[in-house]
Amino acid sequence: MIRYIIKRLLLMIPAILATSLIIFVAMNMTGGDPVDSLAPENATEEQIEEIREELGLNDPLLVRYIKYMGGMLHGDLGVSYVTKKDVFATFAERLPATLKLACSSVFVATLVALPLGIYTAIHQNTWKDTGGMIFALFGVSMPNFWLGLMLILFFSLGLGWFPSGGYGGLRNLILPAVTVGLGFAALITRTTRSAMLDVVRQDYMTTARAKGVPEKKVIFGHGLKNALIPIITVIGMQLSNALTGSVLAETVFSWPGVGRLIVDSISKRDTPMVTGSIIMCCILVCIVNVAVDLIYAFFDPRIKAQYAKKG
Amino acid sequence: MKRFFSAMLSAALLLSLLAGCGGGKDNASSGGSTDGGSSADGGSGGYKSDLIIGTAADINNLNLQEQQDAVNNIILKTTHENLVRFTNEGTCVPCLATEWEYLDDTHIQFKLVENAHFSTGEPLTAEDIKFTYDMAKDSYVSSVLSNVLSTEVVDDYTVVLELEKYDNELLPSLASVPVAIQSKAAYESGMEEPWHVGSGRYKFDDWVEGQFCRVVKVDDYWGEDPGVADSIEFRPYLEASSRVIALQNGEIDVCIDPPINELQYLEEDENITVEEKTGSRLFYFAFNVEKAPWDNQTLRQAVACAIDRDAVLQAAVYGKGTPQTTILNRGLWGFYDDMEGFDYDVERAKKLLADAGYANGLSTTLLIANSAPYTNIAQVVQANLKEIGIDVEIQTVEDATLKTMCKNGEQELYLWRWNEDSKVDFVYRDLYYTGSGSNYHHYSDPHVDELVDIVNTEKDEEKRMQAGVELQEYLVDACPQVPLYIANLVIAYNKNLTGTMLFPGGNHDWSHAYIAQ
Repeated sequence: MIRYIIKRLLLMIPAILATSLIIFVAMNMTGGDPVDSLAPENATEEQIEEIREELGLNDPLLVRYIKYMGGMLHGDLGVSYVTKKDVFATFAERLPATLKLACSSVFVATLVALPLGIYTAIHQNTWKDTGGMIFALFGVSMPNFWLGLMLILFFSLGLGWFPSGGYGGLRNLILPAVTVGLGFAALITRTTRSAMLDVVRQDYMTTARAKGVPEKKVIFGHGLKNALIPIITVIGMQLSNALTGSVLAETVFSWPGVGRLIVDSISKRDTPMVTGSIIMCCILVCIVNVAVDLIYAFFDPRIKAQYAKKG
Repeated sequence: MKRFFSAMLSAALLLSLLAGCGGGKDNASSGGSTDGGSSADGGSGGYKSDLIIGTAADINNLNLQEQQDAVNNIILKTTHENLVRFTNEGTCVPCLATEWEYLDDTHIQFKLVENAHFSTGEPLTAEDIKFTYDMAKDSYVSSVLSNVLSTEVVDDYTVVLELEKYDNELLPSLASVPVAIQSKAAYESGMEEPWHVGSGRYKFDDWVEGQFCRVVKVDDYWGEDPGVADSIEFRPYLEASSRVIALQNGEIDVCIDPPINELQYLEEDENITVEEKTGSRLFYFAFNVEKAPWDNQTLRQAVACAIDRDAVLQAAVYGKGTPQTTILNRGLWGFYDDMEGFDYDVERAKKLLADAGYANGLSTTLLIANSAPYTNIAQVVQANLKEIGIDVEIQTVEDATLKTMCKNGEQELYLWRWNEDSKVDFVYRDLYYTGSGSNYHHYSDPHVDELVDIVNTEKDEEKRMQAGVELQEYLVDACPQVPLYIANLVIAYNKNLTGTMLFPGGNHDWSHAYIAQ
């Protein structure tokens, strides 16, 4: 098992190398000179050249990339062109906000989606099933910046229950978590329903019922347990999405997360900040994936046995 | 199954714990929470203890000589001071300097106040002036002092600046944030981030990126009019609608740049004041005059006549602005807008087009930034030019890409803006002088260069004014750009806000502001 985890973690190295190279090349190809964003409007050519030299932008792309990776081997993700702060420190400062929003939104999503998915599956082809699926469709189709603004208007401006934005305690967290979470809930609901439908048709479910096992135990003890693997997969995927893709909700709720940091850095052509942050996100996503694999083993002894065999 | 539910329960508990503990720093230290709004805890003398300003952009760098964004500037204006201060009447008045005089054309002497000190308690002396200016000469913002050759300390409270040439706009340059005076002792002490130390009414307290930056009142401020509010907090609210709601909720006291289309909600709110005044940000349509066919002056004039500025103004900012003929930002010295220019006249445009040799029209590309108001303006311009037979393809890119493409001369037509509220040379020289880095028009004319130099260095006010008017008339006729409109400065705030000093360019001074109770 341990060897399996180590193997998976080692696989992160080529992923990081590929990610960093793609980001470097992409940032170079997007057009727009970072110096034009940094230098004052009335900077002379000489001043611009000095800044370019100071930032090492006169080196060829490959040389810059090799230098950057050399620094990374020593744990140095570089210094932001714009803020002049250490990229890792800036990322680390933003990470708690992102983790908090990502975990809470996935929690909200799971809390809504799991019961709804099971409920719609056991009431297949009834109006209850249709209602649940309409909710899922609504969740998928709804832009979360729109939902966020609507929630702010209703719960913040209208009822005064929650603040309109800003980072802070539980009251600050609820609206952004619900905004992001409802989008995720839609997909988890559909996956749960579909996985449960596969399971409820299995012979062992009929056998359990024939043996007189109570319906609740049949659904939750026999059905859900065997349907969990695809559900865990999709929850893991949503958690990865939430770690990097909540930028719209972060903007609407003034939530100081990593997504907002990356988007802002891209617009300023702050290559070290963009590259460093995306590499860190890549590591986080890899860790989530490994964690999801381990959770599989926790719920399914067959998978645990497989890992032990491979390991 | 039990294990699954216990895992879920544990996750819920962990999350609640995280949420409960999180933000402690913010809540504990912000003297009020982000959720409760501005708690009316009141200072000792009928004012709210904190002033909270909702900004439209993220604060990104508070090192004076490494940044140039308005959002940083408004914070730094509360913590630092300059030799002179630029007023919103357009004049420079004493600040750290009590008086100044030109010893000759290239030497200017400043006498300093003798009781000024930094927030650390260190006295502010001539050595700090020299230290700051020498450091600026070697920094990103060296262009601000490009005309200053050296700084000489005469005694503790006297400095002399040696200039390359006489400069009519030296004082406004010395009033700008990047050259606000910093403490030499702070840098020499080895302290972290010594640029936070200034001599202003407020001193730096805390900054959490993406969340807030807070400054607190200096209790023993050296001047006669210290700040009133105990602290000022700047909080970024990037989404404009959220910023508006935060103001309506009382979570912030000032909403910078409220969206024009939501002003009615604010105007209907009896607790909020919406202030609107003429701004200084000029939006314009421009040509790369090096690139054919736009090297043809008559063709450029035809385009100028074809653009309906009123329609542009309506589409861009719902009419909240002033259409403009001249190329200079409104409110600057020598502003002159009475020339004939090129008003909207389709028949005249068609005639000029034929005179230019393009009676059958032409096709071209308009480069714009991918944000409002450029996208709205571009659609109006595209429709206007279609009327005279010019097919315009709109090419949309990000700001950074647009600047690089324009600098490299890759564009044909483009939309851009220029914001200046203190120095005319920052308009004339930067946009039209041969070889200037911001001269995206790639315009070059020895006569214009000569007039720009006269406006900058002529001591005789009348001759200088004549040159300024001639320069504006000449450039409007030469038509490297079609000025469209000056956007109004709009700001919304708590109706009890007092002591605002708003500048048309957006670099407001909040160091006197507070909420009266």
